[in-house]
Amino acid sequence: MNALVILIIAAVGVYLGYGLYAKKIDKDIIQPSPDKATPATMYMDGVDFTPASKNVLFGYQFKSIAALGPIGGPIVAAQYGWLPGLLWIIFGTFFIGWVQDYASIIVPMRSEGDTFGALSYKLISPRARGILLVFIYLYLLLIMGAFGQVIGINFLSNPGVPVGVLAVILMGLLAGQMTYKMKQDILLTTAITVVVAFIGIWVGTLSGVTGFFEGFNASLGANTKYFWALIFAVICYLGAVLPIWRWAQPTNYVSFWIIALGMAGGVIGMIIWTFQGGATFGDFPAFTGWSVAGLGPLWPILFVTIACGAVSGWHSLVSSSGTARQIEKEVDALPIGGGAMWMEMILAVIALLTATAATGGWDAYLEAYAGGKFGVFAVGLANFLSHIGIPTAFGIPYGMVFLTIMGLTICYLVVRFMRVASAELLGDAIPALKNMHVGAIVALVLSLIVIWTGVWQTIWVLFGGANQMMASLALLIITVWLMSQGKKYGWTFWPFVFMYITTIAALVYTAFWKALPAVLAGTKVTGNIIAVVVAVILILCALVLGYDGVLAINRYRKGEVAPTAE
Amino acid sequence: MTEEEKANFLKRFGHSAKEFLYGMAGHDMTRFALKTRGSMEHLFILITMGDLLGIPILPPYYSLRLLPYVVPQISTWKRRMLRERDLTDALA
Repeated sequence: MNALVILIIAAVGVYLGYGLYAKKIDKDIIQPSPDKATPATMYMDGVDFTPASKNVLFGYQFKSIAALGPIGGPIVAAQYGWLPGLLWIIFGTFFIGWVQDYASIIVPMRSEGDTFGALSYKLISPRARGILLVFIYLYLLLIMGAFGQVIGINFLSNPGVPVGVLAVILMGLLAGQMTYKMKQDILLTTAITVVVAFIGIWVGTLSGVTGFFEGFNASLGANTKYFWALIFAVICYLGAVLPIWRWAQPTNYVSFWIIALGMAGGVIGMIIWTFQGGATFGDFPAFTGWSVAGLGPLWPILFVTIACGAVSGWHSLVSSSGTARQIEKEVDALPIGGGAMWMEMILAVIALLTATAATGGWDAYLEAYAGGKFGVFAVGLANFLSHIGIPTAFGIPYGMVFLTIMGLTICYLVVRFMRVASAELLGDAIPALKNMHVGAIVALVLSLIVIWTGVWQTIWVLFGGANQMMASLALLIITVWLMSQGKKYGWTFWPFVFMYITTIAALVYTAFWKALPAVLAGTKVTGNIIAVVVAVILILCALVLGYDGVLAINRYRKGEVAPTAE
Repeated sequence: MTEEEKANFLKRFGHSAKEFLYGMAGHDMTRFALKTRGSMEHLFILITMGDLLGIPILPPYYSLRLLPYVVPQISTWKRRMLRERDLTDALA
């Protein structure tokens, strides 16, 4: 097996899934009309509701949904062998992933731009909105825990990484200054900041610099992980409280180029390597067994380990609150929502290839994985880049900087959102939470506790579980909406049932078969207690929402609520 | 495919690629700028609200100078102010 064959299989999946199945659903069930007014045109307010072109929104949607998730999941799931992950990525996207993303645009677009919070209130039950928000807060906390451990503990503590990350952030600040204060041309700004950021990444790999950080980390000893996680928290704090134009947004802009160029170089390198007869899987097994130590049984754990790349609840939030309000024509929803999801599937397949074809074998994969989870991606990317002439000594730290800034761009947004959420949910009871600094610090302290005390694989599975549960709840809302409109709903109802049962099973397994026994055995007690508590709250929220959802479905099935003609 | 069709195809492809790249790299910037402008507009309208209602709060000379700039924004401002919001709005 080699990389090119896998890419061809993925391309066939795209053709069948997007070209046939998705287009049929779009044409026969949703029946979009190019002449129908969308919320972007009806309620144009120049801010949230603003029509944008199909191609622009396709890029925006893809960038918003593709972060560390589609990269991390396949790498972790490769422990089951390459075949289960590949099948779930392709079939998950085929039957569930694009369905959720596409319908998460369609439903708000046909409901005057309502968010999922408002839709759950109207379609399911009044309490559904409040529960959904608690659910989202915990989900965001788990994102911080999962990404924070990788960035703060694994990557920033690598001697070749800190200077590169600092360079990218400084160039982001310069980009903001040049764009907004000095009113410089965007091309000039981009050229200067991106080139200097790359030089910074290279400087970070020089032996003098890495030697300094090696010595520094050695002097910290066991406190290394605390120190670098704290640095991660400080960066997130600045990203969350400073004006967006000053920090988060220009840093994200410079990061985009670092990431995009790395991905493009990696794909070109992979293709060249394949034609040279390389990029083969070596002794990498197709299937290692029905259960893997540390992760758990294939069902349900695989289906929450690979979230983004197959199906992800995050996408439903982005699609409903952002993209749906910018669509100019109804017919654009499929290429944007469905198209971006299929493209993310390709990204997940490439991530799987960095773990399999790029490492070249099972032992090399395990060695890279032991060196720091997503480090596999950095090693794999470096191997691909080496075939376009970029030395591995630069490629590996570059891959780690790439992943670090990719994660940071999400974490800024997550902390910002967590502080808004805590102010909304608890601001009346605890007025101090309305202060943005207090809200951000509370969010970061909670995150640091999870980062320092948690078991990464448990956090990752919980994060995947919360993410997939969000997806199943989005599918539930979509199903109820389809029923309310008198449309066929099997294509969203069965994915909802599968995701709902699988995710609850994964959360129950993680809480009671992994975290609780670890608590009883005295292993990482604080982290595992947090995992059990978070999992139990998520399960309870999901059960209540599921119960209300079934009642709502029955109301429509029994005809107690007449379908609304569009 | 004729030469003209080829040229048109390449032009369209280039245009789409440019828009896609802008969507990934720069569309967020535009949205943030629009949101900032929207917040400024709230303040701007607040300043002139008195005169819109017929109650002079600022010295009328200044607010009357500002009013022509405010009036075209009122319909979109009203939509923004009256729209129901929840936390998931903060994500986009």
